[in-house]
Amino acid sequence: MGNIKGVCVVLVVGLLGLCSMAPAEDYFDFGTKATFDKSVVMIRSVHQAFDYTTPWKQGDMAQGVGSGFIISGNRILTNAHNISNNKYIEVKKQNLAQRWPATISFVGHDCDLAIITVADPGFFEGTTPLSFGGIPKANTTVQTVGFPVGGRQVSVTEGVVSRIQMDSYSHTRADSHLVIQTDAAINPGNSGGPVLQDGKVVGVAFQGLTSAENIGYMIPTTVIGHFLEDIKDGRYNGFGSLGFSFYAGLHNRSYAEYLKMPAGQEGIVVTSTMMNSSVENIFESGDVITGIDGYDIDNDGMINIHGLTLHMSEAIEQKQIGEKVKITYYRQGQEKEAVAEVALNKPVLAYWREFDQQPRYLVYAGLTFVPVSRNFLETWGQSWITDLPFYLRYLFVNSRQLNENRKRTEYVVLGEILPDKVNSYASSAENKIVKSVNGVEILCLEDLTEAFSNCPGDFCTINFMGTPTPLIIDNSMAVQRHTAILKQYEVPAEANLETQL
Amino acid sequence: MTRKFIPWFTVFSLAVCWQAFGADVPVDGRHDLTDKMKESLVYLNVSSQGYSQFQPWKRTDIIDNFGFGCAVGPYEILTTAWNVANAVYIKARRHGQNEFIPATVKVIDYETNLCLLELDKDAAGSPLKPVKFNGKYDKGDELKSYWLSSGGHLTTGRGYLDRAEVNKSTVSFARVLNFVASNSANSVGRGEVFAVKGKPIGISYWADGDVQEAGLIPAETINRFLDDAGDGSYSGFGVAGFSARSLIDPAMRKYLNMPTKIKHGVYVSRVFSLGTGSDVLEEADVLLAIDGKTMNPYGRYEHRDYDRISFRYLINSRNVGDTIKFDVWRDGKQRSLKVKVKNFKASEMLVPYYEFGTQPEYIVTAGFVIQKLTHSYFTIWGDGWPGKVPPHLYNYFQNTAFSPSADRKEIVILSHVLPAPINLGYQGLGRMVVDTFNGMKITCMRDILEAKKLKPDSKFDVIEFEHDYPTVVIPRVQASQADAILARNYGIEKLVNIK
Repeated sequence: MGNIKGVCVVLVVGLLGLCSMAPAEDYFDFGTKATFDKSVVMIRSVHQAFDYTTPWKQGDMAQGVGSGFIISGNRILTNAHNISNNKYIEVKKQNLAQRWPATISFVGHDCDLAIITVADPGFFEGTTPLSFGGIPKANTTVQTVGFPVGGRQVSVTEGVVSRIQMDSYSHTRADSHLVIQTDAAINPGNSGGPVLQDGKVVGVAFQGLTSAENIGYMIPTTVIGHFLEDIKDGRYNGFGSLGFSFYAGLHNRSYAEYLKMPAGQEGIVVTSTMMNSSVENIFESGDVITGIDGYDIDNDGMINIHGLTLHMSEAIEQKQIGEKVKITYYRQGQEKEAVAEVALNKPVLAYWREFDQQPRYLVYAGLTFVPVSRNFLETWGQSWITDLPFYLRYLFVNSRQLNENRKRTEYVVLGEILPDKVNSYASSAENKIVKSVNGVEILCLEDLTEAFSNCPGDFCTINFMGTPTPLIIDNSMAVQRHTAILKQYEVPAEANLETQL
Repeated sequence: MTRKFIPWFTVFSLAVCWQAFGADVPVDGRHDLTDKMKESLVYLNVSSQGYSQFQPWKRTDIIDNFGFGCAVGPYEILTTAWNVANAVYIKARRHGQNEFIPATVKVIDYETNLCLLELDKDAAGSPLKPVKFNGKYDKGDELKSYWLSSGGHLTTGRGYLDRAEVNKSTVSFARVLNFVASNSANSVGRGEVFAVKGKPIGISYWADGDVQEAGLIPAETINRFLDDAGDGSYSGFGVAGFSARSLIDPAMRKYLNMPTKIKHGVYVSRVFSLGTGSDVLEEADVLLAIDGKTMNPYGRYEHRDYDRISFRYLINSRNVGDTIKFDVWRDGKQRSLKVKVKNFKASEMLVPYYEFGTQPEYIVTAGFVIQKLTHSYFTIWGDGWPGKVPPHLYNYFQNTAFSPSADRKEIVILSHVLPAPINLGYQGLGRMVVDTFNGMKITCMRDILEAKKLKPDSKFDVIEFEHDYPTVVIPRVQASQADAILARNYGIEKLVNIK
């Protein structure tokens, strides 16, 4: 219950929250009871996230309850948010006292899906794996199944499919994929449970809207299918993109004429390409993209796909990373074609929430340096986006535009200062982003390690972005105080540079 | 030993006796100015009206406010600039007189936060009795304050002269000298006259009821303002053209090659393109002294009367055009620099700090509202605006406001779009910095007017923006027709306001 309250807080912050489905009683007869009785399980897990300002420490422990269901191959499909930052997972069948410890096989935080499994083969005896259907039609009936707010029995609720569109996935606060909206009751604990139609899974219940009544969301089988296909090679790579920004502005005839577009031709205007992206050398600002993989793009950036009108990114979502898409576009009135690779296109600032791994950090002279990440920025609390120090906010909003170095992989910020005589005057540099050390530009945390270990002369000169005043550290004192500072503040290691895969 | 001891003991004893005598005297009775002030103080009723920042062709609601003033000439009234900011009509009331006296602004200086008003002589009747500001600062002295209330009562308050500080004005970017009165429970900071030992020492310009303190614009600032204003051309006080930060870190001092025997000096962290020192200082200079007054590492020096006070006082206590001397530490050596004292107007800033009494500059073309970025514009976002405004806009204010250049005199933005058929597809755009207009780099609002004349054969006006925004394309022929309809629909009297 404690965790359920926690989940609700998260929902309020992000508008979208977690949900799942209702208990199966004898008087329900959807023709599917026999199946989900043997397929849907309760998942209990213990979470403990890291502290992103002092990354060697872990935060408070919490417990949570969610749902999952058995699919082929003795696997349990559930939501990633049910098992993120986990320390321990167990699963339970309805009306049985026995618990089975479980382990994570794969997790896709960007699509909020995970596969867990139970080592004891006896767990799967008598269970029935569920199979998948397609995208349900709007205004058709679906059943959500799971363990809302815990309980011993599976709960079932019924509702209709309200609409199908691209929308935010609240788990990472940054991803957007296809979602199906339903009015079936979805509450904390339903997360990870199946949504069924005609006995087949048409979605995984995963979030709800706290600001409205009876608006719940499920992850459709197009997204589930992408996840299951992705992990076939034993590794989850995630959803890719092409890496460009566009404006749906061709409604303006003068703009279309200025871009020399043929009359009546619809499309979207490229405004920029992402540095190092797969289309950086293909598109130019002012190109008009009119088609993707055979789908015509309209002036709103929509395509007709799956029998629906959806955002053009749905065409890219059909592809795995490394696969190609065919693009049709106009440049200065000339129609062109290009083939672009779908890639991860990771930006230099992680604007999504990260899970499961200890944050990277480096401690030098009692100064804790960490990569700028959403997790770090969210340590400012619920109103972090307005309460952040200015330059961190500027960077979060405009990191793409502000980065001019192709080799940059991240920004590094001076976070927590562990007070000591070597850093007595460093407080004004706290929460500033490192620009250079001894004149060498810092493009990632590893650069900082290199720069500090090769400080020439008496000082390390640290320059920060957005401020002309450097921080000067007495190098010999830093070396002399190093071990004592780590000991005083119980820092187990001066750095964690292990990169999250 | 004995002979030396006796004279010292005598002096000490006399001092004790004098203090005891003074404490028995009813100071209020000796120094009360209530009767004298009746012929000097006025109550001010100010109707103010600014302009909407979002729709700069519109005026905001009229607000009635009040303030206090005191005569500094027969028909001249001193009050704070803040009291009359955006004033459209000012009326004054004298003691014992029911009728209001119209008043107009003669000289206003937002940096010192002072304003000289002129009363309508016919309505004023007999001349007022000017107040002379000749009180001397002596920390701890008792203060009495005087003002004429809205009901025509000459009202008094009390306080103590607590400290002298250099603080940012409530209306301006400038940091100027002010005295802080403690235990001043009933001050409202709207121009009450404060006196010490029966001598006026300043007028109030802020008050904090929670801590019962009030800020006073001191006599020396008032007298300099009046002298300057008296010659018909007001030139103002010096303003620093740089920012400084403390230099207490031994590692930093060593890094700057400063000998350990030099314990003083403050670090020059930013040099602007406006203000005193902007043409001679360099970032990473250490300012050691101004006119021989040695700075401590916090940028303060020992003043004879005011104790430790900011170096900025040495600049703004000088007149524009004076020459002062900076001693700086640069590149491992001490140097002396001759510096001309300068100031600047808010309108010269890259992002003006205030725009009182003037209509914001704007151009409306085909529904695209183009404006100059100002500090006032940010108030559109309401309380807590620094955390809400687009950071790219805020960055210009935060880091470059005092550094306009030939390439960038103003920040010109597309504020928003007034929806109309001609701008279909663009109607959600706004808060974007204009980079070019018809291919011309835009350095100020006036450039837009020039740029519109370029490429006369083109069907379109074309606007490009900083960052990843779409190009705005405006059909010229249709725009002139659309502008007339837009002006009528949205109630815009004039589509262009460029000074």
